[in-house]
Amino acid sequence: MHEKAKDLCGAFTAGRVGRRELMRRMAALGVAAATAEVMVNAAATKAMAAGFDWQAHKGTAIKLLLNKHPYADAMIADLDNFKSLTGIDVAYDVFPEDVYFDKVTAALSSRSTEYDAFMTGAYQTWQYGPAGWLVDLNEYVKDPARTAPKYAWDDILPNLRASTSWSGKPGEAPGGPGAKQWAVPWGFELNNLSYNQTLFDKLKLAPPKDLPGMLETAAKITRDAGGPYGIGVRGSRSWATIHPGFLSGYTSYGGRDFTIEGGKLKAAMASPQSKEFTRLWVKMIQDSGPKNWATYTWYQVGTDLGAGASGMIFDADILGYFMNGGDNKERGHLAYAAFAAKPGAATPTSNVWIWSLAMSNASKKKDAAWNFMQWATGTDHLMFGARKKDMVNPIRASVWKDPEFLDRMKQGYPGYIEQYNATAPEAKIYFTPQPLFFNLTTDWAAALQRMVAKEVPVDEGLDKLAEQINRQLKQSGLG
Amino acid sequence: MARTDGLWRVLRGLALAAVLVFFLFPIAWIVLMSFQTNEQILQLPPRVVFTPTLANYAALISGKLHTAAGDLDVPFLRNLGNSVLLSTASVALSLLLGVPAAYAFARFRFRLGENIAFTLLSFRFAPPLLVLLPLSLYFQDLGLSNTYVGLIWVYQLICLPLILWIVRGYFEDASPDVEYAYRVDGHSWWRAFTRIAIPLAGPGIAAAGLLAFIFAWNNFVFALILASADKQPVTVGALAFVTASGIQYGQIAAAIMLSILPTLALALYAQRWLVEGLSLGAVKG
Repeated sequence: MHEKAKDLCGAFTAGRVGRRELMRRMAALGVAAATAEVMVNAAATKAMAAGFDWQAHKGTAIKLLLNKHPYADAMIADLDNFKSLTGIDVAYDVFPEDVYFDKVTAALSSRSTEYDAFMTGAYQTWQYGPAGWLVDLNEYVKDPARTAPKYAWDDILPNLRASTSWSGKPGEAPGGPGAKQWAVPWGFELNNLSYNQTLFDKLKLAPPKDLPGMLETAAKITRDAGGPYGIGVRGSRSWATIHPGFLSGYTSYGGRDFTIEGGKLKAAMASPQSKEFTRLWVKMIQDSGPKNWATYTWYQVGTDLGAGASGMIFDADILGYFMNGGDNKERGHLAYAAFAAKPGAATPTSNVWIWSLAMSNASKKKDAAWNFMQWATGTDHLMFGARKKDMVNPIRASVWKDPEFLDRMKQGYPGYIEQYNATAPEAKIYFTPQPLFFNLTTDWAAALQRMVAKEVPVDEGLDKLAEQINRQLKQSGLG
Repeated sequence: MARTDGLWRVLRGLALAAVLVFFLFPIAWIVLMSFQTNEQILQLPPRVVFTPTLANYAALISGKLHTAAGDLDVPFLRNLGNSVLLSTASVALSLLLGVPAAYAFARFRFRLGENIAFTLLSFRFAPPLLVLLPLSLYFQDLGLSNTYVGLIWVYQLICLPLILWIVRGYFEDASPDVEYAYRVDGHSWWRAFTRIAIPLAGPGIAAAGLLAFIFAWNNFVFALILASADKQPVTVGALAFVTASGIQYGQIAAAIMLSILPTLALALYAQRWLVEGLSLGAVKG
């Protein structure tokens, strides 16, 4: 029976048998579903080994620095397969997100050899890469001797590949000529609408199509829902307030963070497009946002939606995904929709957050670390993560075509696939890469807080913000 | 008159109750939260009457956290053990080094004495991050990175100046004549120190030790930068309940309850010395 089951798994990995057929025949052989999954993954691991010497670094031990995140959990659950495939031993440190980047920055800046690879966001690589703390992964990705033929780099969504690479020259777009691949995408977030379907049905509301519509819908929820407020968006004095819904909508209105004049950066927050969008955004929060919006981070925005305290959020789609499960009061009641802020815009312009894997330049075991990275971002592991764990959103086109993953999402997360399909083509990092990213976006969030608190009118607030940012750019030689 | 007294007592009782409610309400609320599920905690309006659950404590003790994104491993008890080990060992070492040093600074005048004492105090002035990055380089070279010994050494930056400067004040307050009389009886300097000076400064040493323990317990950044996840104290470990898939308020409340227990027990045990010690050391005659 065992041999037959193994043959069946082999046929599945070779593509001769579909997954449903495999599970049906496994069940007929008396193999439990969980055991079948393990056997399938082991067979996939074996198949992956074809054509590449995965055992080249057998006996090496590497160490990872990970953020406490569902992506890391999915990887840890599948790690034994990597160990048996390569003979590489993997240790890891997992730190909570609140302190994670402090730990990463300290480890990299002190040239610590302790960690070989680590999780990072793309924005962080704008600091880490030019400082010489990261390895340019082009030298691995483009080297057939170091990368398995089945790795399929081109299967990773092109905007994500571009967004995790940068030339290091302030103002040059990610993925431009001479860009160094500072990290490999692992999982990512789009920014769209997640809403409480039950509440919308009760109030006979449809998901808004644009920002003026969002203002109306949010105001109606605040007025008529009997408790919940209309719209959850982030508001803390942090760069994280700017990058999700705010920048996605801002871009849709034609706003840019900087313009380039004579090779120098110039703040573009005082543009007419920026003012038009920001006026609406500020009014939306004043009329229908949470009472203590200025303290709102990822956590509060998500918790309110999950607890039924807000009607909708314009934030990361995976935040809405998480809130639709667990012990949240509104689990199973949430739905998703694509959102283009500018009336009449053809497609949404979602800014993206990309959790990625990067390699420390101080690592003494770079080749072994790369083997781990290509396994962790490879199709087999990501397929496992997307089907069985919470590795959403997958970064590979092939995973987005997987019927099992699509079925799972369609059944539990209404509208999720549709919002992804509508948004993905134009989804990328819309910030201009530059080394003052975190400081300047924090200033931007602080200015928004003053406008929402009515300490300063929107137009005047944006003019002052642009002046303040231009001053900082000049002082640092960027403007 | 009796009526005025009665009214006064009632008013005083009400004022005391108001003060108690003001200060104890957050703690009482955390206790209630620790017996609720996340769904109960996030109910609007919040409810005081609920069906209690021990699930939060069970999750901490078993190390398995149930979240929207599945089960997570949370090594909270290991974090708690690390905090106990690091704080206790650091304070013990600081007492061992700091009390004789404080005695020396109080009783003897020697070259550069005040400069040395001030230098030790200045350890408290520097922002930790300023020293931690260079220190992490040295620690790597010395093999102290990611070791309990290295961390206990670094914790001396918190504990040693505190103990040295507080206890020095107590030694200075105690009259040296008692020690001289004891030595005239033929006892050694060491015996005078251990039998006379230390007991006299006992309340001060207890107060300084407890304060140093609290400061060490609350420290966050030293272990974060200098050690791996398995050596992190409870201050870092508690953040594990703030996950991408949501905040586990119930488990945070239970973790707070468990993590204040050691300090609370120590404070209650040392209370009689602490009050005496703090009040004695406050004014120098």
